Amino acid sequence: MMDFSLNEEQEMFRNYVRKCLNEAGQTMVAREFTCGNTSEFIKLQKKLAELGCTGITISEEYGGLGLGALDLVPVLEEFGRAVLPGAYLETMAFVVPLLEKYGTREQKETYLPEIAAGTRSFSIAWVEPNKSYDPDVIECQAVTKGSSLVINGVKTLVPDGNQVESLLLIVRTDEGGNGDGLSLVLIDVNEVTDMKTLSSMDETRNVTEITLENVEVPMARVIGEVNQGWNVLKEGLLYLHAATSSMLVGSMDHIVEMSSEYAKIREQFGQPIGRFQAIKHRIVDMKLDLETARSLSHYANWALDTNQQDKEAAIYSARTFATEANIRLASHNIQNHGGIGFTMEMDCHLFLKRARFYENYMGSISQFREDVSKGLGWSYEKPRFQLTSK
Amino acid sequence: MDFSFTKKEERFRLELRNWLEENLPTSWPKEEEAYISFLKNWQRTLAEGGWAGITWPEKYGGRNATLMQEIIYHQEMVRADAPPSINYVGIHMVGPTLMQIGTEEQKERFIKKLLTGEEIWCQGYSEPNAGSDLSAIKTSALKDGDRWLINGQKVWTSYGHIADRCFLLARTSQVPGKKHKGITVFLLDMNQPGVEVRPIVQLDGRQEFNEVYLTDAVCSDADIVGEVDKGWQVMISLMLHERAGIGAEVFTLEKQFNNLVAMTKEYKVDGKSLIEDANIRQKMADLYARSRGAILNYYRNLTNTLKNGQPGPESSIDKLLVSELTKEMLEFAVSIQGPHGILWKEDAPINSRWQEKYLYSYGTTIGGGTSEIQRNTIGERVLGLPKDLRA
Ligand SMILES: Cc1cc2nc3c(=O)[nH]c(=O)nc-3n(C[C@H](O)[C@H](O)[C@H](O)COP(=O)(O)OP(=O)(O)OC[C@H]3O[C@@H](n4cnc5c(N)ncnc54)[C@H](O)[C@@H]3O)c2cc1C
Repeated sequence: MMDFSLNEEQEMFRNYVRKCLNEAGQTMVAREFTCGNTSEFIKLQKKLAELGCTGITISEEYGGLGLGALDLVPVLEEFGRAVLPGAYLETMAFVVPLLEKYGTREQKETYLPEIAAGTRSFSIAWVEPNKSYDPDVIECQAVTKGSSLVINGVKTLVPDGNQVESLLLIVRTDEGGNGDGLSLVLIDVNEVTDMKTLSSMDETRNVTEITLENVEVPMARVIGEVNQGWNVLKEGLLYLHAATSSMLVGSMDHIVEMSSEYAKIREQFGQPIGRFQAIKHRIVDMKLDLETARSLSHYANWALDTNQQDKEAAIYSARTFATEANIRLASHNIQNHGGIGFTMEMDCHLFLKRARFYENYMGSISQFREDVSKGLGWSYEKPRFQLTSK
Repeated sequence: MDFSFTKKEERFRLELRNWLEENLPTSWPKEEEAYISFLKNWQRTLAEGGWAGITWPEKYGGRNATLMQEIIYHQEMVRADAPPSINYVGIHMVGPTLMQIGTEEQKERFIKKLLTGEEIWCQGYSEPNAGSDLSAIKTSALKDGDRWLINGQKVWTSYGHIADRCFLLARTSQVPGKKHKGITVFLLDMNQPGVEVRPIVQLDGRQEFNEVYLTDAVCSDADIVGEVDKGWQVMISLMLHERAGIGAEVFTLEKQFNNLVAMTKEYKVDGKSLIEDANIRQKMADLYARSRGAILNYYRNLTNTLKNGQPGPESSIDKLLVSELTKEMLEFAVSIQGPHGILWKEDAPINSRWQEKYLYSYGTTIGGGTSEIQRNTIGERVLGLPKDLRA
């Protein structure tokens, strides 16, 4: 029977999360975070873990709730509304599904219960300095030494590397081409040789760069098959981008609310500015974008959970639309607020910078569109990743 | 979350599909007059088969169809490329309104004939000086003994040239400062000396709407819907019925997008399919996302309607989104045909329907309330923004 809505439990969970975030001061947590005061965020993280947020997609035998991508949606939307810092997205919507599917028993036992309890989170170490997301340009290398791997290289744009306990690292273990010869390795942040924080426009998420010099980890840290890491990673990306879309929808939801509320109370020429159609109609167009993104992202997560044939097209459609719409909305929001919108004081800038953070995050719009076209079977292009000379 | 149809719904779909297979006309006449009688025949065939006014109660010739069955109906009609309904105004607007607030005598007189297409209806709202601001209508109806004499001019009256009846808004009294008051709805007989219809040619070369001049046109008390001077409420309730028709446009958008995909694969320039061009493919992926978004929005609003029992103001979102997107998509469809895309009719590079539909699409963001008016409605009724100043 036709029912395109989140169910009662999902909406109820949303309400708990929203209440918790409101009590913590909503965007105040992110604001404090940008000033280097992380204590509020750490307190909030504990509360969210107590609520069960960190166990949603983890199976029950490892201390989670055993739910799916769609159950994560309301939580991600609420986090997006609050531009919440932290690597919840990477942990819950990338590493967890990969651990559940490809992790060994030992890996699951090591990591999943701690993630569920909120005491361990993960980030992703993929891109290298001045390089793209192309798998074949990855140089960071892991060589076998007995039953260990010895890793050397530099990874950059690691989201919140300084906020997490562990990293999922993609390394070269063999000669490559078309994504071959790569492996995924789970490492702890304290095993990293050096880490520095880079200056990023979006200060609600830290961007770090890590250096690995002869870092030795057991072979048992490889997740999935050796040299097959790229395929595993691509599967994880489906979860990650479906979830990212929901996070973006949450931000947009807050933006539309900000703009409409402000347009009702700010008066010029003796009337609320929301009466001027230049403002009113722009906010309506923002609302249309928001609802379209919401529909696309809800469907994408459902398609992922239920393994629909169009899941790839659905996920990357949601991702492209939500990403572009989010930038558009964040920009309009500033304009709708006038001078105050241009200040650090108002939240407008937080949303704009966050929108930019996710624009080229783990892929680019044009690449996602190629993924859509591939998913629909109308792709004619040359192999997506060409060998670059090394 | 669930996108499946129940067994009962699937049976309904199958029944309709089978019926269409047997009854769908195979060739469509080109010539105008033949085309009109073709459409009238189609309407009669639908009614005889029990496939017109399906949501209506059985005693009016309907089959008590549910909202979901109505959705399936739209899906299947679009899928089968069925001819358009020539009595759209009668079936989707006048019929449901009469059933809701008409007198027994009116139901008796009109409903059966509009279902079978024996009587075609048009909608007489707009006037030269009353379009978006409908409350500014000037056409007057004055009581003269036991009849009403109607004088004035209507414009953009779709199907006016073939209509037998008109659902007409006229002013029956002046209430200073309250333009919405004093308006009455009449069921006007178009076949009388006081009614003169002059066709207007649309920008796509077709002639579907008209000017209607009313000079002492006659109606009786029995032709009034609801109460005298209270026509505005009647009109609002009719508008809600009109909104339900958006489903057909949503599925048409979906179909047109699929046709566009097929076109970009099949049409070759210098030996290469259009879809091989990265710029085109990127834009197609964008259009895919947005058309899927529009369809999914529609399903989400539909879910709300199913839960609440009636549509909310969100249906304006569907109308605005679907009409604007359709226009943009067709513009793109013509644009990618390159220099040859300027040709149409028998010289069209692919199929003149692309050019024709493209031009026609400009009417969809004007008719039924312009996009700007939809934005006002959404801003004010969905987002609660302050109302425009209205004189
Ligand atoms: C294909 C087609 C079929 C039609 N069929 C019928 C029919 O069968 N019966 C019938 O009665 N009418 C019919 N119409 C008429 C239609 O309802 C009107 O054209 C429409 O309501 C707009 O009115 P108008 O043409 O007077 O434009 P106007 O109202 O003069 O509008 C001109 C421009 O001003 C804008 N505008 C007006 N008011 C505002 C405002 N408050 N805020 C912002 N912008 C504003 C409009 O959006 C538009 O862009 C049809 C129209 C079309 C295109």
